[in-house]
Amino acid sequence: MSRWQYFLRRVLMSIPVVIFGTTITFALIRLGPLDPVSAILGTQYNPQAAEQIRTNLGLNQPLWSQYFDFMYRLFTFQLGQSWVIAPGTTAYELIQVYAPRTIWLGFWSVLIALFVGIPLGFYAGLNPNTLSDYVASFGGIVWRAMPNFWLAIMLVTALSQTGQWTNGFFTWQTWIVKTNVVTPPALGFFQDPIQGFLADPGGWFNSFLKATKQIAPAALVLGSASMGNEMRIGRTAVLETINSNYVETARAKGVSGRSLVWKHIFRNALIPLVPIITGEAFLLLGGSVFVETVFAINGLGWLFFNAAINGDLPLIGTLMYIFILILVGTNILQDFLYTVIDPRVGYEG
Amino acid sequence: MSTQTETEIPLRQRVAENPQPALVWAAIGAVLVGVELGAILQVVVAIGGVIVNLVPGDPGAALVTSLQESLKGIPTLVSREFIPNQGYWNGSEWVGTFLGLSPGQAWAVRFVVVYAYAFAVLGWLWDGYKRYRQYYRRADWTPRDDVVNRFRGHTWGQFGLVITIAFVVMAVFAPALGPTTMEQNILQPYDYEINYFDEESQTVETALVGEANIGSGSQGAGDENVAPMTYDDYGRFHPFGTATNGKDLFTQVVFGARISLTIATVAMGIAGIIGLSLAMITAYYKGLADLAIVLASDSIQALPVIMVLILMLVIFQNTWVRDLYDGAVLIILIFSLVYWPFIWRSIRGPAFQVSEQDWIDAAKSFGQTPGQVMRKHMAPYVFSYMLIYASLSLGGIIISVAGLSYLGLGITAPTPEWGRLIADGQQYVASPSWHISLIPGVLITLVVTGLNAFGDGIRDAIDPQADTGDEAAATGGGA
Repeated sequence: MSRWQYFLRRVLMSIPVVIFGTTITFALIRLGPLDPVSAILGTQYNPQAAEQIRTNLGLNQPLWSQYFDFMYRLFTFQLGQSWVIAPGTTAYELIQVYAPRTIWLGFWSVLIALFVGIPLGFYAGLNPNTLSDYVASFGGIVWRAMPNFWLAIMLVTALSQTGQWTNGFFTWQTWIVKTNVVTPPALGFFQDPIQGFLADPGGWFNSFLKATKQIAPAALVLGSASMGNEMRIGRTAVLETINSNYVETARAKGVSGRSLVWKHIFRNALIPLVPIITGEAFLLLGGSVFVETVFAINGLGWLFFNAAINGDLPLIGTLMYIFILILVGTNILQDFLYTVIDPRVGYEG
Repeated sequence: MSTQTETEIPLRQRVAENPQPALVWAAIGAVLVGVELGAILQVVVAIGGVIVNLVPGDPGAALVTSLQESLKGIPTLVSREFIPNQGYWNGSEWVGTFLGLSPGQAWAVRFVVVYAYAFAVLGWLWDGYKRYRQYYRRADWTPRDDVVNRFRGHTWGQFGLVITIAFVVMAVFAPALGPTTMEQNILQPYDYEINYFDEESQTVETALVGEANIGSGSQGAGDENVAPMTYDDYGRFHPFGTATNGKDLFTQVVFGARISLTIATVAMGIAGIIGLSLAMITAYYKGLADLAIVLASDSIQALPVIMVLILMLVIFQNTWVRDLYDGAVLIILIFSLVYWPFIWRSIRGPAFQVSEQDWIDAAKSFGQTPGQVMRKHMAPYVFSYMLIYASLSLGGIIISVAGLSYLGLGITAPTPEWGRLIADGQQYVASPSWHISLIPGVLITLVVTGLNAFGDGIRDAIDPQADTGDEAAATGGGA
């Protein structure tokens, strides 16, 4: 089987997965003990309003027809609307408002994790069993074991106190640009990036810096687990490639140290890192609930959490579907990267 | 070893031929059990009581209660009664504490005794294994010896083992470790009275525990703070200080360890059983069965774990399942349903490998049923792979449970939980009451690091070449 056939098969396999995953969500929402109507009405329950909502949501239909309706709407991207936390607002509008903050957060947490975790791991792998290796490895393990929400609380406190602790020498809030520690990032400058940049490059850059600084602590926390993973895997991968025969051969035929590290070790050591990097999607989605709660960033995780505790079941179903699409999409991306990076993929069956 | 041959001498006879090592071991064991006899019998009776409770009509309830009462009289080494630390200052000396020591010292003595006893028991078990291996085992060598020896050379894994044991001991001996009891300090503080020395009137006064708690909360500044390793105004010692509501933090932390570890191990156990059974079925029957499970597990794995947990906890919020053990039972069920695909994934490969072996064919042609083949000839082979994965995932569950409790969705009051303690002290981190949030978080980090290290050790010991152990599993889905 060629690599592309293998890849195509993986893509086809993901269709039933999306269907099945969405079905599980439907079953939870509709067959679970929580009645969506009383959840929507809450304390203001009265029979007429309940009947009205029941009709609007189609809850009077037989279950199978509700199911097909639910699936059909989601798969044709008629995403419905919120009923409790922002009544009448369509899910599209909500996602448009909330998603950019989460994407911004996710972008930086992937980036920070990559640019700290992998170099540290490779450094540790290239200098195995030295003091710096032990410090880096142990630090990575402990860093990874810290619960995100707790780390976030500690970081918020530490950053808010930097002024007092250093006697005003270094204050996070006023460092470079003035920001608060606990705040959603101001992403207004992304509305029309090119126009905005051309009109006022200095101001645009300033707001870019500001938004980055606002998100940096949260991104550092959210990337912590991935950073630790990338470090560990990076270290092992480098150790394995260093001791492999082809590196030995390359060294024997006189390849220079720099070329050996970059061409022969680095590239091959990247392969096992691919699933770790794509696997971050899970950590980012799950972690966003906690990190966004602590840092008061009203993004998708925060939206989901609030929709859940307020019983906004229609919105939850939609969000779940989006999350499943993101996760399945990342898995497909992972297989795609594999087929590109590693020529051996697909030949093993 | 499992097949009984004609020439094999039974273990009993082997011991009879050379009784000395076994006798020494048994004697030490008798002492260790003897000093804890009261506690052990109480546990047995308590379990009996639960079983009796299940029988309709409660025929033996009275018997159980009277037994429990009479057992309290047996002195036990590791108990609050033997080394009491809850006393009061009467102006010249401490009354009611162990040897008249201060409550803090008495508590420290008990703490040390608990851990000394626990490690003595473990050392005794280890010694028993060594004696068996040296004097009584028929085979000079088994493959398991290599696993044990590899682990003995794995410092990192041993570090993890020690940390893990420390937390398991904390969970098991939680009632004896706390400076006060759950019942008195946390559950029914208004049903208990304590004596304390009033500085102003220079007399011993009485107060309800609940009132004392109100007077010794940690809410930031100056007077309203009971820091770790200090006494409150009522002469009570607090190793980890108090929570915002004045309840003892250490007591909550040790009981929090109990619930966290229970959830993690039971959930992993159930997920392991499901994963292992399905792996056996898919490896044995292959084809359609395999495809169906691949689809089901892929779909469950495509769901974001934390979101599913939040959703299910919300959906079941007003049902009776949610109230069992303050939500722990529901959380365990959800975790087992969400985690089995990961376990199944990690052992599917080895299970397929073993199903291709000749001995499976042989067993089939001997007329063994599929169930027997799976249980006796396939499961033992893949079990170690499952152990690796499960041990690496325990930390992730502990973090997730703490995270959910932090959000107010996980374990509800009154059962203490680390995540809820962190939420409780969140706004005081920068104040003198920093201990409320910091200590539970440090403990979570410590236990997760320990469990991961232990898992690494198990992996390297069982299979030095193993590539299993999903890194993401150890991080609790991002909580």
